Amino acid sequence: MRYSREWAIGFWTLTRREVGRFLTLWRQTVFPPILSALLYILIFGEALGSRIQLIDGWPYTEYILPGLAMMGVLTSAYANSSSSLFVAKHEEYINDVLIAPLSYWEVVLAYTLGAMVRGLIVGILILGVGIVVIDLPVLHPWTALAFLIVVSALLSCAGLVMALWAESWDHVMLLLNFVITPLVFLGGVFYSIHMLPPVWRTVSMVNPIFYMINGLRYGVLGVADASPGWSLALSATLAALLFAWTVHLFRVGYKLKS
Amino acid sequence: MSSPPEGDHPAIEIRDLAKRYGEVRALSGIDLTIRRGQFFGLLGPNGAGKTTTIHILTGLVTFSDGEVRVLGNDVVAEYRLTRRRIGLAPQEFNFDRFFPVREILILQAGYYGIPRKEAGRRADALLERFGLTSKADDKIWKLSGGMKRRLLIAKAMIHEPEILILDEPTAGVDVELRRALWSYLRKLNAEGKTILLTTHYIEEAEELCEEVAIIDRGRIVAQGSPDALVQAGGERHLEIRLTEPPLVLPDAVTSRDHFVDGDRVVIGSAHPRQIVAEVLNGLYAGGLKITEVRIKESSLEEVFVQLTGRTIEMAPEALPAGDTDATGAPEEELHEV
Repeated sequence: MRYSREWAIGFWTLTRREVGRFLTLWRQTVFPPILSALLYILIFGEALGSRIQLIDGWPYTEYILPGLAMMGVLTSAYANSSSSLFVAKHEEYINDVLIAPLSYWEVVLAYTLGAMVRGLIVGILILGVGIVVIDLPVLHPWTALAFLIVVSALLSCAGLVMALWAESWDHVMLLLNFVITPLVFLGGVFYSIHMLPPVWRTVSMVNPIFYMINGLRYGVLGVADASPGWSLALSATLAALLFAWTVHLFRVGYKLKS
Repeated sequence: MSSPPEGDHPAIEIRDLAKRYGEVRALSGIDLTIRRGQFFGLLGPNGAGKTTTIHILTGLVTFSDGEVRVLGNDVVAEYRLTRRRIGLAPQEFNFDRFFPVREILILQAGYYGIPRKEAGRRADALLERFGLTSKADDKIWKLSGGMKRRLLIAKAMIHEPEILILDEPTAGVDVELRRALWSYLRKLNAEGKTILLTTHYIEEAEELCEEVAIIDRGRIVAQGSPDALVQAGGERHLEIRLTEPPLVLPDAVTSRDHFVDGDRVVIGSAHPRQIVAEVLNGLYAGGLKITEVRIKESSLEEVFVQLTGRTIEMAPEALPAGDTDATGAPEEELHEV
């Protein structure tokens, strides 16, 4: 059966709904991570930055900014898809989507795209703040964009899986609070792993978020602790696998259908 | 995959449908055919399998065995074709609380492939039809229970489905709104829409449905028009009490199935109301004096009790009655992270 215009409208409607939802709540969804990034720039730039040596040839504030942007992308994409789907499931209006003539991959892709748009807006705005406030260069913009897209897709899917599994808000936030946030802080946002003792350097290499921060830092500053190509391949593979798994969970109706 | 058949396929065909939850059998071999244009009722107590059946039709519940077709198409293999032809108004309110009323309808239409402009036109028409125009730009928590119930039906109709499925559409609504909804549903059915309704209100089934299937413990225990069910399963007779035991009875009585118990004469009839005049005239003509006349007609309720051995229990209501419960979490309390 050929893909019809009718289905495309259905898919587009859900995508637009997902974007529209967080835009109507922009004070809660878009603004806070930008404010946090500005505070980091202020504290590290004005108060502490001058006491810290250059890292890989960059002043400290410039060095940490790509990591801050990635932190915003990770948490925003995750928060968007997980909270949107969890509320829809909890209040049963996800059923409106499940009984509509939408395929499962269309539903997952629409939720993913909605969260990706939020992640991208936050990431680009934080980098934009860096460009305006501290004259941050973006040396490899396409690489930077590729990392923003792939990472926001990956975290969107992670948010969907957690929202499917979750039976309370506690469950929704579990992965963010106890896994993602610690891995972000241990993934080299505030330091280069070359500054760590060898053991901790090796431990950092198994943290997938290290490669995401590393990749965006390469895109922005042109410096990296690990191969940017490898980092992108790893992130993209994880995103593709998680997307496929999420579609599978929707298809079998995991915690959606009885 | 076949194209949508235009022939004589029934609206809904269910064959040998079974649903198990582990060891529990929720449905045990349901067979059901609902013709196009029919007003069909699934009647049964809570937990009988009504909602499970309609959720299988709409894809919200998977099934273990059997075959389910909507207008000739398989609900699993050809779900894109079947789902766009069904509109479901669930029992519980399920509204997208992030958007105002009109936008909820437009989004719903969009999921079914209706372009935004056309969706807006339909949303306005439905809001008008359901008396919700003044609430078009309000969020859902500003609506009363009755308004939400109307919006739920409007939402099910925005893509103009051929089959409308209503799960307990009048559960918890006040009498006035119930009457208004009944009249509206009758009109829709007269316009050609197939309607499948689940209810545990006997009166609703008798009032609206051409055909009723009584479902109990996952099985259909009887099916037919409400009248036929009452006639087949229920008891109907005319009972007359005289001033004294009769010596001779007129032909109007003796030609029918009857018995005499002292001064009481009981005449069995499928249509007791239609024989009242004839029987009374016969008794008068025979010089007998009448002190009391009773017409006994079983209700669907009694048929249900007869078939299942129990009454339809009233369920805890889904929503408060009346139009006075305009409550809800304010927008600021949205759990957004």
